[in-house]
Amino acid sequence: MEAILGNQVMFILFSAMIVMFSILTVTSRRILRAATFLLFVLLSTAGLYFMLNYQFLAAVQITLYAGGIVVLIIFSILLTSHIDHKFDRVPAQKLIMGVIAAGSGIALSLTTLLTYNFVPANQEPISVDMNTIGKSLLNYGDHGFVLPFEVISVLLLAAIVAAVVIAKRKKI
Amino acid sequence: MNFAQFLKTDKLMSADSLILFFIVATVLVGGAILFSTFMAPTSSNPAKFEPYECGIPTKGTTWLQFNVGYYLFAILFLVFDVETVFVFPWAVVMKELGMVAFVEIVIFFFVLVLGLAYAWKKKALVWE
Amino acid sequence: MEFNIYDFTSFTKWIDESLNAAMSPFWVMITEMAIIGVAILAFYALVGLFLVYAERKVCAFMQNRVGPNRVGPFGIFQTIADLLKLLMKELVYIKNADKLLFNIAPFIVITASFLAIAAIPFARGLHAIDFNIGIFYVVAVSSLGVIGILLAGWSSNSKYSLIGAMRSGAQIVSYELSVGLSLITMVVLAGSMQLSTIVEAQANGWFIFTGHVPAVIAFVIFLIASTAETNRGPFDLAEAESELTAGFHTEYSGIRFAFFFLAEYMNMFIVASIAATVFWGGWMPFHVPGWEGFNTVMDYIPPFIWYIGKTAVIIFILMLFKWTFPRLRIDQLLTLEWKYLLPINLFNVVLMAFIVLMGWHW
Repeated sequence: MEAILGNQVMFILFSAMIVMFSILTVTSRRILRAATFLLFVLLSTAGLYFMLNYQFLAAVQITLYAGGIVVLIIFSILLTSHIDHKFDRVPAQKLIMGVIAAGSGIALSLTTLLTYNFVPANQEPISVDMNTIGKSLLNYGDHGFVLPFEVISVLLLAAIVAAVVIAKRKKI
Repeated sequence: MNFAQFLKTDKLMSADSLILFFIVATVLVGGAILFSTFMAPTSSNPAKFEPYECGIPTKGTTWLQFNVGYYLFAILFLVFDVETVFVFPWAVVMKELGMVAFVEIVIFFFVLVLGLAYAWKKKALVWE
Repeated sequence: MEFNIYDFTSFTKWIDESLNAAMSPFWVMITEMAIIGVAILAFYALVGLFLVYAERKVCAFMQNRVGPNRVGPFGIFQTIADLLKLLMKELVYIKNADKLLFNIAPFIVITASFLAIAAIPFARGLHAIDFNIGIFYVVAVSSLGVIGILLAGWSSNSKYSLIGAMRSGAQIVSYELSVGLSLITMVVLAGSMQLSTIVEAQANGWFIFTGHVPAVIAFVIFLIASTAETNRGPFDLAEAESELTAGFHTEYSGIRFAFFFLAEYMNMFIVASIAATVFWGGWMPFHVPGWEGFNTVMDYIPPFIWYIGKTAVIIFILMLFKWTFPRLRIDQLLTLEWKYLLPINLFNVVLMAFIVLMGWHW
């Protein structure tokens, strides 16, 4: 019972952090602060994955989103933005419309969530270890993902070429 | 079963040890900064809160123009970071799967090295 | 209670059982977390302070000086005195600096190093969290530190800080790739990312001996790349004092500066621990297959001592780097990573895979 209680506390903690920092991200008027709050949202999401014992996804979330994308965003802010720069205040009309839109979204998801009849799973939780992930990633039979795995390298190649082309373009 | 009951099932596993380390770090940094804020002596003079610039008054804004190279390297890093994420699961099962895994990684790396070679050829890896 | 310095499993189990006998499970969890928290905090502070002292002594030794020698015998209390002094110093906020981010920056740097320490195996049974993705987890959380550095540089509202932060950022993210790839090479050999499994797999010989050439190449690359990733000399051009004053922490004062300083040393410790664990067998004693008598003698040395010894040797090597080599320029730095280390590393991974495929490893 206590273990469950502990889990509930953790779940509520992580969810509260996600909600709070998401709101801060969109309302902050300083762009780098918004990026920092986004970082905390992504880290709390990783915390939820850790709670589900899906450690690989959690680590991917941390390396790619927190350590990769956010770093890239911060880099571009450092390159283009000035510390004194602040966004203008949102006009009252837009603000009201935004609050109404967000509020109806919350109401919709809450009613769905609270009225939905959840079916408890009878299966034992599957522990997803690295062996399973690796084997299905490299398997070429049914349930194998070797084609996507190889196509990813082509996608990455395209990304490199695109980055080089854009950055090395002659100055206009 | 409604949402509240769903939360009470034991399907969620614990991440409490990790949050523990997070809390310890918060206590350490927050505690020390608070302690310093209240305990340390303070003084004030007009020049004290100026940003440092070799002792002369600061000129212009802090905003500088940077080489776009910084951004290029950040993007290249992101590409290879994604690659690392996919190679880690491969590395774990390489021993078991043997030949199949070896051929697959050779193809994977060959395509990536093409990209690196392109960047090299276009002098994107040179700092200007 | 049986306290066994060769295996901490029984010790931690004993704590758990005696606590369970005394109170309800919920309070057991709280108490255990408190114990671990205090232990980790004390360990972190002790290691950090000692490493700063060690660095000064090693530096003095190389430059034919004495180093700190007044506070306590051989000056061992010097860093504690420094810490107390820094605690009592005023925290200066620069005009127009972003106060919130200015405070968050050292917090992120410290948190990243704390989270990384959570996964390091210190001895058999002395291991806070044993993830099945161990190595990947350490790589992931240590990549968070760079965000703290970038934020510090931007929020200080100083040109030196900004330039220093940009340089550090480019350097750290570049060299992170080499750290990851050299560890992948060893994962291929071990067939697992779980740090406890990796250590157990080295019972009959450390990976640096059993992995032939690719293991040695990976070790050398790891040492170079991790020196660069922790921003230490000869790769410390982010805080090249002759041109950038102090880089991204130019405007930091008092205890906030101390946190950046502490985090740098803790990152060095983490890097050395990972190198010791993955390449030199962690807490596993030195064994030679077939030499029974020799192996038994080696087993008498407790695992914790083995671990500390190996880590200390690697830390000494890293300090040696810092005080022997001249600083690189940024173009040399990026050339080294992208034109040498990265291609060599990719080739090295394939080479290791080939050796594993052929069964040439022991």
